[in-house]
Amino acid sequence: MTNRLDRWADPPLLVLASLADEPKHGYAITRDVAETMGVRLSAGTLYAVIARLEAAGLIEPLAATDRRRPYQITTAGRAALAEQSARMGRIATLAQARLRESCGWAGA
Amino acid sequence: MSRPRQAGPGPLTSLALMLYPPAWRERYADEVRALLEDAGTSPAAAASLAVRAASAWVTMPRHLHDREARMRASVATVLVAWSALTGVGLVFAQLTQLQGFRAPGHPLIQWCYLIFDIALAISVLTAAAGGVPLWVQMIRLARRQGRWRELVCLSLAVVVPAAYLAAALIALKVVHHPEASGPWWFVAFAVLGFGAAGLSSAGPAVALRRLTPGGPAVALATAAAGVAAGTVALAGLASAVAAAGLCLWATSFAGYHHSGLAGVYVLVVLAVAATATISAGRGIRATFLDAGRNGTQAG
Repeated sequence: MTNRLDRWADPPLLVLASLADEPKHGYAITRDVAETMGVRLSAGTLYAVIARLEAAGLIEPLAATDRRRPYQITTAGRAALAEQSARMGRIATLAQARLRESCGWAGA
Repeated sequence: MSRPRQAGPGPLTSLALMLYPPAWRERYADEVRALLEDAGTSPAAAASLAVRAASAWVTMPRHLHDREARMRASVATVLVAWSALTGVGLVFAQLTQLQGFRAPGHPLIQWCYLIFDIALAISVLTAAAGGVPLWVQMIRLARRQGRWRELVCLSLAVVVPAAYLAAALIALKVVHHPEASGPWWFVAFAVLGFGAAGLSSAGPAVALRRLTPGGPAVALATAAAGVAAGTVALAGLASAVAAAGLCLWATSFAGYHHSGLAGVYVLVVLAVAATATISAGRGIRATFLDAGRNGTQAG
């Protein structure tokens, strides 16, 4: 059940979060997402997400080096990431508070 | 960042990438290959790419959308599918209406014949009206640029049908009663006819892709391709209903009781008609809706 709930981690949000600190190319994004967020993005999923985020103006491509093109988050991307992460933060806070109230769970 | 492996992306990945739209491949395929060289490829990675290819076709990202390329692709696809359907339609007409006896059976069959004839005639006229100006424009473009291969491709649209008709006429002159020698002459004419239709449509389709013409002639050809695809699909559907009707109500006539053959015919017609109409619809959307959207943005 826990694994199935992991699916709520939206790939576009993961990619935006990965690019929030510095520009990265495809492999660097997948590795960062796997190491820091525990989600493996397949090549198909990653480039579907990159195409969507680029079309929406949330990320932009930089000059490619040896076929490896880095992407950086845009101002609009930062705003979208801030809004989504704030919403997720509120949900997480609410969930933890209710768990504490109902069964004394204090979180990990 | 260190890279664990330096292997090629593999044949499965290359095949999966071939499933993507050309504009998508041009923009992202090299990056995907580089990613898989770094991360390591696997059948699962190729499968994930293949699965995502369908959505890349359905929802092409806006920054990859090339309106005129879409229109040219639609015209090329419709041209090949239209030639196939028209060839199938002519075979159908030869096997039914041109047999020298009154068409049998139910009134539905008569109505289907009428719809088939009218729709096919409109389709041929529309295809000619929309296709000839673009063909002439491409001939001029190829001559101006000295593109002899493309000129040869374009000339196939005229040379191949003319050669086929000449060969058919000579064969009919030499063999006085081909119907007396069984179905093989007809089968040979039909097979050669489909070959000729394939060559004469593939030539201009290849030239269209290489010469990349633009302007009003492409828009006109795309609109005509939409009408031609719709009407030839209607003709195909009418012939499919008539073929089913002949199997049901005209079993006493020779050849009309093979339901298996009729089933194959219906499936082929439906598949090719669906290809033509879907591609034509995408071209029409690029011609009119995207033009309006671009105009609004520009304004």
